[in-house]
Amino acid sequence: MTITVLCVGAWCMFVGPVVEGHHVSADEGGPVVAVMQHGPIILGGCILMAMVAMLLGWHWLKLARAIASIARFIQSDTTTKDPVHTGFFSSLRIRQINTLCRTISEHFDQCAGRVCDYEKQIKELQLQLQLAHNRGKNVEAIIYSIRDAVIVTDEYDRLLMANEAAGHLFSFDFKESHRKPLDELIGTDCGEFSEFLSHSRKSKGQATRREIEFQEQDELKTYDCIVSCVYDRNQKVTGVVAVMHDITREKQIQQMKTDFVSHVSHELKTPLASITAYSEMLADGEANDECTRREFYSVIQNQAQRLSRLIEDILNTSRIESGLVKVQKEPMSLTLLIEEQMQMIKGFAEEKNVEVTGQKPIVFDQVHVDKDMMSQVIVNLLSNAVKYTPAGGAVRVETTVDESASLARVTVRDTGVGIPADEIDHVFDKFYRVGANKKQAKGTGLGLNLVKQIVEKVHDGKVFVTSQVGVGSTFGFELPLATRQSAGIV
Amino acid sequence: MADKRVLVVDDEIHIVHVVAIKLRNNGYEVLSADNGAEAYELALKDKPDIIVTDFQMPIMSGMELIEKLRQNDETKNIPVIMLTARSFAVPQEQQDELRISGCLSKPFSPKELLSHIEDILYQKELVGEESKQKQS
Repeated sequence: MTITVLCVGAWCMFVGPVVEGHHVSADEGGPVVAVMQHGPIILGGCILMAMVAMLLGWHWLKLARAIASIARFIQSDTTTKDPVHTGFFSSLRIRQINTLCRTISEHFDQCAGRVCDYEKQIKELQLQLQLAHNRGKNVEAIIYSIRDAVIVTDEYDRLLMANEAAGHLFSFDFKESHRKPLDELIGTDCGEFSEFLSHSRKSKGQATRREIEFQEQDELKTYDCIVSCVYDRNQKVTGVVAVMHDITREKQIQQMKTDFVSHVSHELKTPLASITAYSEMLADGEANDECTRREFYSVIQNQAQRLSRLIEDILNTSRIESGLVKVQKEPMSLTLLIEEQMQMIKGFAEEKNVEVTGQKPIVFDQVHVDKDMMSQVIVNLLSNAVKYTPAGGAVRVETTVDESASLARVTVRDTGVGIPADEIDHVFDKFYRVGANKKQAKGTGLGLNLVKQIVEKVHDGKVFVTSQVGVGSTFGFELPLATRQSAGIV
Repeated sequence: MADKRVLVVDDEIHIVHVVAIKLRNNGYEVLSADNGAEAYELALKDKPDIIVTDFQMPIMSGMELIEKLRQNDETKNIPVIMLTARSFAVPQEQQDELRISGCLSKPFSPKELLSHIEDILYQKELVGEESKQKQS
């Protein structure tokens, strides 16, 4: 049809004038004749133009529709394989457009697939990040809860993490010091520690250990420092972890034990030295007369007894502590027991020119005790009082009964050297000897501990002490009255 | 070694007594003290030829006594033998630093102590004679 119309138009334009044959000029026939003469041409031209316009319009519409379809396709479901199907102009199919749409569709599918993959990866990474974050928080929580001081540094000796104990030890804010140089945080006083960390990191070796002392407020404390390197996947050192355990108390105990061994060794060897020396002298005939020989025998005997008592003290303390001691309790008068022991200590007190006084026996002071053990307690307290009282001083022993509390109370008061306030809490500790008084008298540091063990552990009593340096001390103990125990009242 | 004076220092009276008997039986003059402070005063006053001292004593220990003796020109050259009941010996560096002539562990033999004293006094005499010869 298009071709037909085009042909008619072309005929009107080009063949019309020839068919008409005659050219009548406008002068002869006027404007109407001129129009009639050129009419076919004009008509043909118009028809042609109209057809061209229609043709162009049609193609334009098709193109526009195709583009609109492509746009709709892009906006809508891209899984549709053959997009240009719908609408009024569905018949206006352009194969190339379809190919383009299909290509775009496939490309979109690929992009969508990749987007899905990326979304999955993002989710996984977010999950991993969250897990890593949670793990990091858990690790932090663990480190913060550790009682030992923990410090983690990077390869440049900057702080990565520290717990409260470390912050307290080195006096810095452990939560606000991330990435700060360790030297600046811990100060120049702890140069040995910084150097230890740095050296351990550079050596890249196994965990290293060192005991380091730190001044913590007013006290010098000893810490067992263990430093380990932190490695990444390539085995490169990325930092160090230092764990510091406070071993001050252990060191003190160790020192006390060392001191005890040294002291006990001295105490044991001293009577043994006398026994050995006097025996040798006797054997070599150096005791020239009978009197001297008797003197030597006596010394050997006394020193052997002394040795025996000391060994017994050590063993008793051990036995009581381990609960192996055999106890035989019976009701007896506390004041009578005290009087007996005062007679035993009298000679020693007189030698030292120390007056020891007691009180007359009182009634209702019966206690349920093991006689030997309680005698030991009284002797130890009296002996200590006399030992640490200078010549001319006095020791007074008193017993009181508190009926309302069903307790018997014994006090041994002396006018001795006294005990400093910072040491008084330790006087009943095993092996403990008051520093200032060590030279005043000898001792193993076991006597008062034995008193405490016997009174508290074996007899369910309580020991106590008060003291003032230069004035004197009062040691004592309380025991439940026998009447209460005999009746089975707890 | 007659006429030689020995100062015996120990807070254990029995030790002082047995050592004194042994030395006196072998011709020595014996002085005694029961702590380092008293011993130092005696050393200044009586100038013993040798001192035998215990390690651990009240008021002033044996080590403190020796340190004090070495600081005084009048007493710095008196030889000293240390008696110790400690579980470990006095370190050699410490002995050299304080010029301790000998260490005996308790329990000790009086015979062995006497032998040590005689050796040290003999050496001291030899040294004294050599320096006299050099001076002359």
